[in-house]
Amino acid sequence: MGSIEAEDLQLCQNDENDLQPFFVLHKASNQRIERKSGGKARRRIDLSSSVHDNLDKSDTGEADELEKLRNEAFDCVWSKIKSVIKDALRDINLDVFNEIDRWVHESFDAITSRGKPEFAKVTCSYPIVSDATSKQLFSGLVLTRNMEVVDDLLTFADLGQHLKSHGCHVANLSSSDFSPKNGISGSIRSLLRKFLMVTLDVADISALASWYAEPGNHGNPVVVIIEDLERCCGTVLSDFILMLSEWAVKLPILLILGVATTIDAPRNVLSSNALQCVLPRKFKLRSPSERLDSIIEAVLVRDCSGFNVGQKVATFLRNCFLRQDGTLSSIVRALKMSVIHHFSMEPLSFILKGLLDEDDRQVQFSWKHETLPEAMLSRALDLPSYTKNKLGEPNGEILEQGLLQLRRSQKLWSSVLLCLYEVGKHHKISLLDLYCEALDSELWDTRASDLHSVLDDKLKVPEDIMHMGGSIFQAIRKVRDSSPVALCQLLDSWEALSEGLTEIQEKVKELQCLSKIDDSKNVNRELTNISRRHTSRNYTHTERDAQALNVRAATLIGSMVRDYMQPMECIPFHEILCFKNVDKLQSNITGDPRRRIQADLLESYKFLKCSCCRVNCNTPLPSMHDTSIMYALAQEHGDLINLHDWYQSFKATICLSTKSKQRLKQSPSPKKRKSAVEPQAINGASLQARFCRAVMELQITGLLRMPSKRRPDYVQRVAFGL
Amino acid sequence: MESTDFDEGDFEFSRNYFLAKESSTSVKRSTHKLSDIDIVDEQELREAVSNIEPKHEKEIDLLIKSYKCLYSKWAFELRAGFGLLLYGFGSKKALIEDFASTTLTGYSVLVINGYLQLINLKQVLITLCELLGDQLKAQRKTPSGSQRSYNALSIDDLIAFLDGPHVDGNECSICVVIHNIDGPGLRDSDSQQYLARIAACSHVRMVASIDNVNAPLLWDKKMVHTQFNWCWHHVPTFSPYKVEGTFYPLILAHGGTTQTVKTATIVLQSLTPNAQSVFKVLAEHQLAHPDDEGFPVNNLYSTCRERFLVSSQVTLNSHLTEFKDHELVKFRKNSDGQDCLYIPLTTEALEKVIEEISQ
Repeated sequence: MGSIEAEDLQLCQNDENDLQPFFVLHKASNQRIERKSGGKARRRIDLSSSVHDNLDKSDTGEADELEKLRNEAFDCVWSKIKSVIKDALRDINLDVFNEIDRWVHESFDAITSRGKPEFAKVTCSYPIVSDATSKQLFSGLVLTRNMEVVDDLLTFADLGQHLKSHGCHVANLSSSDFSPKNGISGSIRSLLRKFLMVTLDVADISALASWYAEPGNHGNPVVVIIEDLERCCGTVLSDFILMLSEWAVKLPILLILGVATTIDAPRNVLSSNALQCVLPRKFKLRSPSERLDSIIEAVLVRDCSGFNVGQKVATFLRNCFLRQDGTLSSIVRALKMSVIHHFSMEPLSFILKGLLDEDDRQVQFSWKHETLPEAMLSRALDLPSYTKNKLGEPNGEILEQGLLQLRRSQKLWSSVLLCLYEVGKHHKISLLDLYCEALDSELWDTRASDLHSVLDDKLKVPEDIMHMGGSIFQAIRKVRDSSPVALCQLLDSWEALSEGLTEIQEKVKELQCLSKIDDSKNVNRELTNISRRHTSRNYTHTERDAQALNVRAATLIGSMVRDYMQPMECIPFHEILCFKNVDKLQSNITGDPRRRIQADLLESYKFLKCSCCRVNCNTPLPSMHDTSIMYALAQEHGDLINLHDWYQSFKATICLSTKSKQRLKQSPSPKKRKSAVEPQAINGASLQARFCRAVMELQITGLLRMPSKRRPDYVQRVAFGL
Repeated sequence: MESTDFDEGDFEFSRNYFLAKESSTSVKRSTHKLSDIDIVDEQELREAVSNIEPKHEKEIDLLIKSYKCLYSKWAFELRAGFGLLLYGFGSKKALIEDFASTTLTGYSVLVINGYLQLINLKQVLITLCELLGDQLKAQRKTPSGSQRSYNALSIDDLIAFLDGPHVDGNECSICVVIHNIDGPGLRDSDSQQYLARIAACSHVRMVASIDNVNAPLLWDKKMVHTQFNWCWHHVPTFSPYKVEGTFYPLILAHGGTTQTVKTATIVLQSLTPNAQSVFKVLAEHQLAHPDDEGFPVNNLYSTCRERFLVSSQVTLNSHLTEFKDHELVKFRKNSDGQDCLYIPLTTEALEKVIEEISQ
């Protein structure tokens, strides 16, 4: 109550501010800046000693300290993940970027070989064009294979950087620079802004020509990247291209056009004049799902940061991509949100920073359990994953051991998964599917027992596996079916993937030896029996040998899956590294205002937690929030609500007794009704005022459409059902 | 499994919609008029609105206080580069300003009242740049002395300044608080594009609230994922929309015929007696022939001339223009193709108007 009054008071004081379009609430206090610099200084101090020293002070100090540690750990982990994602995305397109770069330089050479214009001509302020061929613009059409422009923004920014680093002048433009509203002058102005770094009042391309004539800029190709061709206004873009082609001799401009649909797109967008000036060349980027796989591999499977997500979260990420949004950006965003949630919800998460500091292959920590405060230690030992399968005496030692074990099994898990992915790559099994399946602890239990029974009987392996579902089994099956050459390559890649994990690598090497013996046998036979190959008995023998090898490889990967692919969520202390709260993530990533605002109104008692409104939630009670009553009443109407009826039922609800409600229905005349039911306490004006405010509030929430001139007595409902 | 859930949800929604549609057509629609309610005078109504007794004050207070424990988490998310988007029923103005003034002390905070009708975003940008300029100067990262004038810069330049690089890890940010980013003053796509560009600036953090259930339709994927980067928080407060509702008309004061009667009367009373009489001629015809499409203009002229109300077509036209400007009459063609005049009021309302001006 007090705070509401205070709020009222504040409202009165802020009345002036409330009616200002904007105002400054306060300026930054210097306090934070000092605190910041303190934090920066602290960063240099060794993590373990700082935990120890600072956590002994007081509770609040301790909490603050831990929060700081978590903040720092978050910064480290996220910056690592961010750079890994960036690298993964750049690397996957690197070959295309190089190809584009080669084309740019070749085209530039072609342009310059047409003959350099004389200096006097370059500096004159009108274009010079001698023949038709010199009017042509070299244009790279980059097929993004992706309708989501948002995912390609970063790709084109990277491409721009790549070309810049190879000596080009680059400007990235987007469809908003080619809008019909601003016309050609708008697009030229943005182009000039990108190169000249200033906004000019006059959109004149000759400014760019004289900029290019300057000694520092001359002699390098000028590349204009237009990110989303299909979204540009066709006429503006055509004018732009015609304009550039007029200047083609003075300004060696190359166009790079991002095309989301098909190679025909320029024909649909551009005018025929402009189309004649375009000398196209096709490039193809990697598909979104390939890009996604590379992100998942780099960030979550290769475990770059120590941070992991649980199976449900992984499935949510997968669904984000496959069903909901279809963009990589949404996945990256969800991943970042998961990291934030993990660090803000899990007090022990700061340990992750220690994990990050360690060398990749050496499973060691830069912190020691002795430095952990008592409260944190007991929290760690209370974690459900630890209490469920207790390993030994609960002490700091066990936590450290547990975490080491966790990291170790994580490494094994990820290398088996990558081995499977190596198989899947050639058979359209996506890493994302394998990843989600490999994280599933329930599936792991059943799979382990399935594999156990079939792997014991070595001869039966493949047949039994043949009938099992799921991507993992599918991958195992593919091993059995692969050709000897593919199998050989596969074993090589397995060997590389199991680097540092002796238990796997030895078995792989063993198989590799066998395959090499087989290979040499094959070569010998092929040399001698090349003509009789089809009928020879030797050949069938060889085939059987090869198949035996395939069976052994399938058995190997099967046993690897069974023995080493333990999902993280089955291992003690995984909560420290693994984020699992999918509900929280989902509600923060995609708000659902349409459903939730309605639910607020229909179930207001759940939030207000009052004792008066809970009795019967189906019928509106007079004690409920006015707008809640009104919205509950609105549910009984069709798509149109008669204002008069609505008002009357609101009035009846407020006036409480059911008897009077009955009487209301019987007496249609408003005057009679008024005299019959209205109690003294609620006068007409205040009731009407409350009605008005409730309607106004529903209008603010957008749940009502106001009366039109055609239907002055009705409002329209907008939402139907939650 | 999940896809079937989704389909069911979808099905449920469409089912509800058609049920609602059906019930409105099959059951006879109520023909009650808003004017049947004995509406009090607008002045009195406005006064009553401002004096409405609050319900559940204690619970609302507790509810809002319960969000205080989230402040540090919000600040963490803000720091990490997300924008905060608060939604849920009830005014969130006080909540956000409380959050900003207690937790975001390290940021300069600028508040935009999106519920107002007109907001000049260029002015907002200039103020933001001034704030940032002061802040940078306070940290002695820019040479002190010359005060930059931001007024002369273009919007692109202003945004470029806000998007400047951070000097060696030194976090220097301004927080923009927007009440009702879906409000009438900001609802157009240009404003949203500018806001998105501001939100994407390296020196800017954004906290905003929405109230409309359809607010997400304002943004495309680029804005959502790369610019605003919203972190959604459901925080219903159930506080009254006091300031936010200031500019919404009261349904009982403007919506029904009463208001039209009132405005029509006021307009007519301000006209000359002759003009009033012309209107009366028209009204009498309409009341006598409620099913007609209107009064043909030629007939009106002859009738008025007969009664010595107008002397020429020009005078009549000037009266009609006056009526038309105040939406007292409208033109339409009747079945013979003649231009007809009619008064867009119901019979009862028209009777009331005639009664009023005849007094």
